[in-house]
Amino acid sequence: MSDKTVTIDYANGLIYELQKAFWDERGKGARFRTTKVGHQYFEEKVRPLLSSTEVTDILEKIHGVLKSEGIVAEVSYSQEERLLKVGVQGCIHRAVEEKMLAKEVEPFTCIPANLIVLAIEEKLDIPVELAEIKVVDGSCQLLLVMFEKRPVLE
Amino acid sequence: MSETYNLVDATMKVIQDRRSIRDFTDEPVSDQDLDMLLEAARQAPSGENAQPWRFIIVKDEAMRKKMGAIAGGGSGRRFTAEFVTKKMQERFATLQDEAKRQAAFQKLTSGQVSTFMADAPINLVVCGKKDVWDTPYDTSAAIENILLMVTALGLGACWVIAPCIDIRDEERIKALLDIPEGYKAVSILSIGHPTRPHKPRPRLPINELVFTEKWGDPYYEKEEA
Repeated sequence: MSDKTVTIDYANGLIYELQKAFWDERGKGARFRTTKVGHQYFEEKVRPLLSSTEVTDILEKIHGVLKSEGIVAEVSYSQEERLLKVGVQGCIHRAVEEKMLAKEVEPFTCIPANLIVLAIEEKLDIPVELAEIKVVDGSCQLLLVMFEKRPVLE
Repeated sequence: MSETYNLVDATMKVIQDRRSIRDFTDEPVSDQDLDMLLEAARQAPSGENAQPWRFIIVKDEAMRKKMGAIAGGGSGRRFTAEFVTKKMQERFATLQDEAKRQAAFQKLTSGQVSTFMADAPINLVVCGKKDVWDTPYDTSAAIENILLMVTALGLGACWVIAPCIDIRDEERIKALLDIPEGYKAVSILSIGHPTRPHKPRPRLPINELVFTEKWGDPYYEKEEA
């Protein structure tokens, strides 16, 4: 098996084109079809590390994985009741968001956000929704909503 | 007293009388009416005549409640996200009545806007085969055929995508109903007898919708104010 790697520009170019194709097909509905992108990575890299049910512990684990793998430089976060505000600095996929914005499309998919959603849903069994991705001064500001409980399937 | 229409007028009347109905009586939908709805769906156009639609008739109350919970959960998440980012407030900016605004926000963010399907006598789950070219369009055509027949029969229905739009919820619906990997859950139609007549929803003026020869040149003259 070849051990060659591809450049991040090549990977981001493909990710952008796939996302743009999704946007062109589904418009604003595209974001809801990509909520599990990163699931395989979550299963392999994040899930085995999760033990605590504290949100801060979960975020620290994800931060650690993303940083050690060179995917992001820093992740910061704050929680105000059910709102979780996450700052992502130095993400290797930022160019994808910038390409989307250049086409006047609000970014709708974020792997760190999806990992957070998947992890909290897994450990706390509550729904989480990514509400917004904002690119500010070259960093991403994510807004997530955590809900109290899952709807009861009586 | 029955009314008599020619075919053109009857067709347009059915199209114009269709409403999204979310309140149903307890009266069941007859098997004969259900047969008509499914035959209308079966006659829809489809690319390559693939006929990728499949239907699951769900009458069981416990199952309907589960589907309603999934739908309400999905709507609640999405509309709450819209609310916390202030986009919902922008969308309702022209609604001056504050009490109505708050009621609308509550109905949307709580997910109640979609949980009604638990109370419909029938939830008709529309599935689409993936390994064809045009499943979203084919199944949508079948759904519209059903909705028009619903109207013609004096029934009411609502086209609900809430439990299918987010892949997380669609997976829950598929697991609940044993829908195989080769098919997607496209939408659910909640069908029953309406509790009351509903007013039509506003439509954009036609002169804003239609262009001539190329984009931008109106086909219709602007309507007089």
